[in-house]
Amino acid sequence: MRLLAIVRREYLERIRSKAFLIGTLLGPVLMAGLMVLPGVLMAKQRGNPLRVAVLDESGELSAIVEEALRSSMAEGQHRFDVRAPAEGVPETVRERLKAQVLDGSLDGYLYLPRGALESSLAEYHGRNVSNVMDLGLMNRAVEDALIGVRLRHSGVGDERARAVMRRLQLKTIRHSESGEREDRGASFFLSLILLMILYTTVAMWGAALMNGVIEEKANRVVEVIVSSVSPTQLFAGKLLGIGAAGLTQFLAWAGFMLGLSLFGGAVATAGGLKLPDLPPLVLVLFVVFFLLGYFLYGAMYAAVGAAVNSHQEAQSLVFPVMMPLLVGVMLFPMVLASPDSALAVFCSFVPLWTPLLMFLRVTTLTPPTWQLLTSIALTAATVVLMNWAAARIYRVGILMYGKRPTLLEIVRWIGRE
Amino acid sequence: MTAPAIRLLGVSKAFAGHRAVSDLSLEVSRGGVFGLLGPNGAGKTTTLRMVMNVFAPDAGSIEVLGGPAHGPVRDRVGYMPEERGLYPRMALEEQLLFFAEAKGTPRALAARRLPAWLERLGLDAKWRSRKLNELSKGMQQKAQFIATVLHDPELLILDEPLAGLDPVAASLMRDVLLDLKRQGKTLVLSSHQMETVERLCDAIALVSRGEKLLDGPVSEVKRRYGRNTLVLAYDGDGAFLGSLPGVAAVSDFGRYVEIRLAEGGDPQGVLHAAVARLRVSRFEIVEPSLHDIFVEQVKCHGEPA
Repeated sequence: MRLLAIVRREYLERIRSKAFLIGTLLGPVLMAGLMVLPGVLMAKQRGNPLRVAVLDESGELSAIVEEALRSSMAEGQHRFDVRAPAEGVPETVRERLKAQVLDGSLDGYLYLPRGALESSLAEYHGRNVSNVMDLGLMNRAVEDALIGVRLRHSGVGDERARAVMRRLQLKTIRHSESGEREDRGASFFLSLILLMILYTTVAMWGAALMNGVIEEKANRVVEVIVSSVSPTQLFAGKLLGIGAAGLTQFLAWAGFMLGLSLFGGAVATAGGLKLPDLPPLVLVLFVVFFLLGYFLYGAMYAAVGAAVNSHQEAQSLVFPVMMPLLVGVMLFPMVLASPDSALAVFCSFVPLWTPLLMFLRVTTLTPPTWQLLTSIALTAATVVLMNWAAARIYRVGILMYGKRPTLLEIVRWIGRE
Repeated sequence: MTAPAIRLLGVSKAFAGHRAVSDLSLEVSRGGVFGLLGPNGAGKTTTLRMVMNVFAPDAGSIEVLGGPAHGPVRDRVGYMPEERGLYPRMALEEQLLFFAEAKGTPRALAARRLPAWLERLGLDAKWRSRKLNELSKGMQQKAQFIATVLHDPELLILDEPLAGLDPVAASLMRDVLLDLKRQGKTLVLSSHQMETVERLCDAIALVSRGEKLLDGPVSEVKRRYGRNTLVLAYDGDGAFLGSLPGVAAVSDFGRYVEIRLAEGGDPQGVLHAAVARLRVSRFEIVEPSLHDIFVEQVKCHGEPA
């Protein structure tokens, strides 16, 4: 009842703040931006279609090859802007094309020598011959065209020719002990974004809790409240109230992402973009790991807030709290590179890192259920222990004014009667 | 008879080697106003904080309304600390309801009581949804008082309740306190403003350097000091009064002086001497003011024995 009053007060104070509203609304915008960005960047990286011309000395291929180049696409975009070469004797045409390549009005030209159909020899002349993706595409388009012509010459009908030449589509599928799922490519960015959201929100709500404690102490409100409820009740009320506010924001975001992964796919595809795959289990665990992280780090933040008199004093003490969180984030490339390596598994089992790193492993490939459950249980146990210690530090600290205590003194408060 | 409102037995408290309160025993009976007096740093606030269980004493025992200070009696006590504490960015009404709820009073009940209190203290309804830091200092003080009484406590502990109030507000606050006393509440207040105490309190305890110097009902304390004080109003230069035989001390209040006689000093002798050299407009033998008792006692105590 009293606890509820404290929880309610803390919750409403956060929910009604402008920062909360802005954060909750801006989060999805940022997330959507970050999810779509990689696709947009990849498309941009490829650059404009190549302006090419075909110089055909065999005399029978130019129309077919030009058509093949015109219709060849990558990621839904035409890659070749085929220009007709100037009319004239082959020698002068060639010189003209060379000049055009050099002055930049043409990216390159494809040279099909006499007998190209039989010899399968061709040349590409251009300023830039290292754009493998486009040249690979060109290679395939011309090859297909040549094979098509050969088939037709041997009396195979168009219909049959297409059937014979159907290309292989290779899907990549990741395997892990607990299952398999199609890798859609964008998962690296998604993992990174979700990890960053976890890290920022845990740090942000932890700091909010700490600032609340410091403010209460500085305003001496704490003296009035402690004459009504026990410090432990106050501690629990603050932790839960602010946690509930954090959870509200998180659920709003998770709901948005769920909506995006359920209904956004169609919209995105229509817009020529690819959305990462986000199974509901990942979203559920996203919320679970946020809560674990918040209660784990929040307890420490609250203890620091109780020990100091001002925000300035808090800065040096907050470093040891931030440290493990930061190190956890910095370990992400290692975990992402090989989520099943012994080191990655070990790190994801360290309770201070579990909320970040176990979740990171979940986003790349679902770890075995026993690992997931064990790590959650371990972290939950640590949360209980940490909150017990923090509540004891809090109880002593909030009524302590004067010189800032050292870290050692603060730890000693845990044992004080 | 029920247990006293507050009972302290041999209470001591030290901070970092400095003795804030030493071996203090006190009893505050139910009903009426009790004043805890003493100069700055005498240990008044420390004593009240221990009574409120903000921290525990190093030694001794504290009983509040017949129970331990940390027990459920807390809900029947209202506490206004010396350093006012409210949430600066929380709306006034929300805030007051919250503090009542923290004392276990249902929100709806507190909400029913609130308008009468706001009106009694002259806080206009338009301030109800304002944040506290938008209120003037005086209004914040009134808000703090409402936070102290909204759960209808039977014992009120007020640390310097009138400090920082303008004369109008101070007089209003005095009336409110006397109202509460009439309703049978017990009020304990600390102060170093003797005038306040003299007009409000039924009983006092005087503390200095963490020790109790004297306590008891105000009338009894005064009687103990006897009728050895003269009030004299006059025209002319009264500088010689202090050196008259039988005069122990002279306090100049501007329009009049208070003369405290030494043991065996003769009021008539002083009157004769005064009339001889001054135009006397008022002469009265009175009880000593608490102010005089306070100053004298603290002075005696302060000097090394």
